Amino acid sequence: MLTLKLAWRNLFRNVRRTILTVLLIGSSVAAMIMTDAIIIGMVNVMVNSITHTLAGEAQVDHKGFRDAYDASLYLAHSSSLEKQIGSDPAVAAYAPRVIAGGMASSSYNIASAAIYGVDADKELAVSRISDAVIHGRYLTGKPDEILIGDSMAALLEVKLGDRIVLTVAEPQSGELSQALFRVSGILHFGTREFDDRFVFINLARARDVLAIPDGSQQIAVRFKNEADAENTQLPFYRKLNHGDVEAVSWLEANPSIASVLGWTDYSSYIVAVVLFLLASFGVINSMFMSIYERIYEIGVIKAIGSKPADLMRLVLTEAALLAVLGCIFGMLLAWAVGSYYSVHGIPMGDYELSGIMLSDNINAALKPYQFTTYPAYVIVLTIIAAIYPARFASKIVPAEALQRSL
Amino acid sequence: MTDSQPVIRTLDLCKFFGSEQTLVKAVDHVSIEIEPGEFTAVIGPSGSGKTTLLHLMGGLDNPNSGIVELSGSNIAKMSGAELSDFRRDHIGFIFQAYNLIPVLSAEENIEYIMLLQGVAAAERRRRVAEMLKLVELEGLGHRRPPELSGGQQQRVAVARAMASHPDIILADEPTANLDSHTGIALLEVMRELNREQGMTFVFSTHDEKIMDRATRLIHMTDGKVDKDEHIAR
Repeated sequence: MLTLKLAWRNLFRNVRRTILTVLLIGSSVAAMIMTDAIIIGMVNVMVNSITHTLAGEAQVDHKGFRDAYDASLYLAHSSSLEKQIGSDPAVAAYAPRVIAGGMASSSYNIASAAIYGVDADKELAVSRISDAVIHGRYLTGKPDEILIGDSMAALLEVKLGDRIVLTVAEPQSGELSQALFRVSGILHFGTREFDDRFVFINLARARDVLAIPDGSQQIAVRFKNEADAENTQLPFYRKLNHGDVEAVSWLEANPSIASVLGWTDYSSYIVAVVLFLLASFGVINSMFMSIYERIYEIGVIKAIGSKPADLMRLVLTEAALLAVLGCIFGMLLAWAVGSYYSVHGIPMGDYELSGIMLSDNINAALKPYQFTTYPAYVIVLTIIAAIYPARFASKIVPAEALQRSL
Repeated sequence: MTDSQPVIRTLDLCKFFGSEQTLVKAVDHVSIEIEPGEFTAVIGPSGSGKTTLLHLMGGLDNPNSGIVELSGSNIAKMSGAELSDFRRDHIGFIFQAYNLIPVLSAEENIEYIMLLQGVAAAERRRRVAEMLKLVELEGLGHRRPPELSGGQQQRVAVARAMASHPDIILADEPTANLDSHTGIALLEVMRELNREQGMTFVFSTHDEKIMDRATRLIHMTDGKVDKDEHIAR
């Protein structure tokens, strides 16, 4: 109690220095929290971009299909699976898709294409294909409708109403099949791969072209609770994963994204370490200045019977109090700034990260752990940083200290 | 400690500073004994080794050679932690100035050493009141050092030194920063404690006021004891 009282009062012997040190620690804590909040916000944007654009939060497909997008690996009885998926209490929406690689040709040019046959109505609840339409209209169910990316439209030199022929190999027979479409919509996703290669036609027509009457290569799923997507223990996954059917979360379906997300964790740590090092140098400097100013007094305190451990305890307590004050300030600052940016977002413009187009504002995501874990680390590490000046104070020889000029 | 035993005994005590070419013999083979109840002044010109001798007697510094026995214990052989405990329980210190912890009140400064000793709260409060009364500072216990005059601060230092019930009080130039009137008043307080409570005092000083009241004068020059005179008062 005496140590705490002494340490607390010592902090206010040089108010300016204490305030500056508290600001340094506080700013570091705020920066750590804000960095983490922004990274989480960026990841949220990235995940939303992936899951909402096309992939869905989970995908059900034929085992092996995702390895090479081989159209011959399709779910032959898609409608019964769709019923099962639709009745799952965790599922909010689903959309069956026919997917095949093929060629798209116009009167002027030819391009490789990733052909998606989609259920126009069901896709509205799962993906954002309709949001990407920049010219023309979304699919209405007419058999000759086709949506293509703006880059592909430029390559094929087509515009709305122009004809496009799709050539695909039928999965069962391997025979080539051709179908004529008229461009009903031009899309712009912002992601090069989508805009260069993806074409969307109606599901029924796609099944017809590929000669798979009740087949689909993929059923994209959206959950009522987004977090369920990564819960591998969810009954949804257990029930569906048997035989040739494979149900995976969006993260499993995009392993490269998983590594990007792992990298974002490291970036938080790196920023935290750099900020902490800066703060700790400030604390060490501040503590040494404080000790040098009190060296005669420390000599007296030791002379009258305080042990080295008492002095260690005193300096470490002062450092801990500085850290606590700094953390309180830092948390308030982070809460104020973070709350603003969690609502208003940080405008980043359009940018592509790991092949994903990010165009939304980044909303800082404040989490309770940021206000417990980071301050706890800072307090503990500040105390560790203060061990050096504390040891110095504890080793002061009274006779030498008392000979310092008064 | 028995009555026949000196409070402090030094034997061939030496403390040298510097290397061979610049060797300074601050304390050079000093052997003295301080008996209980003495009011002793170690006097001499600047650089004669008074303060160093006081530091050695109080275990604040280690001798190069020789023995320092305080209440029968050879403090020259004690470890740092043992020495801290020993100083806390057996020696009271009063320095020239800035004796007190400025962020603690006078009461808290007096209480500080008893907290280190682990004295119970009620006993601490009783002793603080008693000490403030002894040094005639009743009613000023709540004040912090900057709110007290130099003389009052030195009285608090005396009270703190007494509060731990030490065997001896070592005072290094305690009146050096006080005006004449305040210095005399402080000395009277200490002389009173010496007479009434039998507290042993050893001063290092230039101050003639202390010399006039001392019952023993140890004269030092160049680290050696020149003269050791007992004065009946």
